[in-house]
Amino acid sequence: MFSVYKKELQSFFYTPFAYVITALFIFLFTYMFNAALGDLGQPVLQFTFPDIFYNVIFFFIFLIPILTMRTFADERKFGTEVLLMTSPVSVIQIILGKYLANLTVFLFMIAGSALFPIFTYFHGTLIMNQLICAYIGFFAWGAMFIAIGMLISSFTENSIIAAVIGEIIMFAFMFIDDFSRTDFIMQFPKLQSVLYAFAAQPRFAYFSQGFIRLSDLVFFASAIIVCLSWNYIAIERRRWKRG
Amino acid sequence: MITIEKLTKYYGTNRAVNNISFTINDNEILGFLGPNGAGKSTTMNMIAGYLPMSAGRVTIYGSDISKEPVAAKKNIGYLPEIPPVYPDMRVREYLSFCAGLKRIRSAERKDEIARVMKLLKIEDVQDKLIKNLSKGYKQRVGFAQALLGDPKFLIFDEPTVGLDPNQVIEVRNIIKGLKKDHSVIFSSHILSEVSAVCDRVVIINKGDIKAVDTIENLEKKLGGSLTLRIKIKGDRTKTSNIIELTDGVQEIASIDAEGNDFYAFAVKLKEGAGDDVKNNIMAELIKHGIQISEIYTEKPDLEAVFVDMINRSAKNNGLLDLLDEIEPVEAPETEDDEESAADEEKEDKE
Repeated sequence: MFSVYKKELQSFFYTPFAYVITALFIFLFTYMFNAALGDLGQPVLQFTFPDIFYNVIFFFIFLIPILTMRTFADERKFGTEVLLMTSPVSVIQIILGKYLANLTVFLFMIAGSALFPIFTYFHGTLIMNQLICAYIGFFAWGAMFIAIGMLISSFTENSIIAAVIGEIIMFAFMFIDDFSRTDFIMQFPKLQSVLYAFAAQPRFAYFSQGFIRLSDLVFFASAIIVCLSWNYIAIERRRWKRG
Repeated sequence: MITIEKLTKYYGTNRAVNNISFTINDNEILGFLGPNGAGKSTTMNMIAGYLPMSAGRVTIYGSDISKEPVAAKKNIGYLPEIPPVYPDMRVREYLSFCAGLKRIRSAERKDEIARVMKLLKIEDVQDKLIKNLSKGYKQRVGFAQALLGDPKFLIFDEPTVGLDPNQVIEVRNIIKGLKKDHSVIFSSHILSEVSAVCDRVVIINKGDIKAVDTIENLEKKLGGSLTLRIKIKGDRTKTSNIIELTDGVQEIASIDAEGNDFYAFAVKLKEGAGDDVKNNIMAELIKHGIQISEIYTEKPDLEAVFVDMINRSAKNNGLLDLLDEIEPVEAPETEDDEESAADEEKEDKE
């Protein structure tokens, strides 16, 4: 598992990939930060980091699939899947190795964003507990999206298609919350509550307000476990029915 | 020892490999021969544990590949048809990654990588990105990967495809060198390669095994008659009379005039006839003052065996297509290969 992890990290960090995606992320974060600073003139609006995170999460829809699109698609494209599958390493270890590597790059990305709270700390007041909760929520959200992105990547050997489908699905996850509150869905309260249960966005809202709720953690953790298990099944299934 | 029992693979309803069984002994090189689409790669992938089988069993030194995949895979080095290399990695990085995958202890990793790089002569390119390597080097890197950790059982799927003749010879020599303490199975649709390297061959077509035997036995089994090739300078009619009157000659298959009184005869011998016929003809010709510039008996080569095996199975379905796929005859000796390579180069220049 460790060798897969190491190799994945090398493929991110020995190429410009990790740096470019982190730069893009920080650029977007800066943009939101500046916009928030600009709004300070209006006394009604608050300036909090959780708000910025809340907005930045929207860009995850585009960033995370780019991070995960190559995970399995490229292995198939280059025929290197054979190497992994015929070495004495189990599929679960391969998936975990890759997942942890993606997660590491994601941590590298959000570490970059810590720059702004540090600045703010020196030039203003920082509500620490809120910030830490927001970071935890941010991380949980990203970890779930990475698991989804990897799953999509194992369905195809074209990484661009993996990215686009991943974006669509993450978009759906993002707006299932709004969708569940449309008049049409409101007619069916049971359906509405089911849909709402899948909405990740309100869960992040709790984190950003400084709440760590067990149910939210369980939600993200189970989403990750489901996606990774499905990932395992998808890989095995393709081996069995290939041709 | 590696045993393959009743291995079957269905792709949907399409049967790619049908109930094949054979064994690979210790210190043996087994050739796996068949036209394109015969099920070679599918079989290789199943033996290596990449594809699950629909039915049957593969046992590698006592470990069943489906039941104890990790134990079985520890003994396998596999080079698939397309070398499984990452284009964005450097050769050394890649090999180090593979060593990790194969669970080589980190203390031994460096020496092991150095060993395979030396064996395959890729030390010069160890710091290059794999995507910048030529096809031949990529193949060698793939080879190095398979040899890492010195697994006892090696599987090579068409290892020489796309290599230039010199590299083909190198690869063959590497495979021959492995024989000492490994079991090797390698597939090919090039006959000369198999006859140059292998102890035994398995001939497969359309998922069915057509033959499992040593090369000599296959040639013998094909039986039939030998062909005597004679090139002379002198009188054509006189020569054909002499030849036809010799015992053991069945017929003169062809006579080609090669200018300046040179004639090339192809003489079909009767079954069982051998060197004595050749000697008799030679003696007679010399007695009659005919200059012999060349005389030799031609064995039915593996190509003939191969075509014969395939033909038996494919009476009605596109025999010509199959024959088209079979590579033109190459002499098994490596020297000839070099010559033909030189010839090819000349032609290219022209």
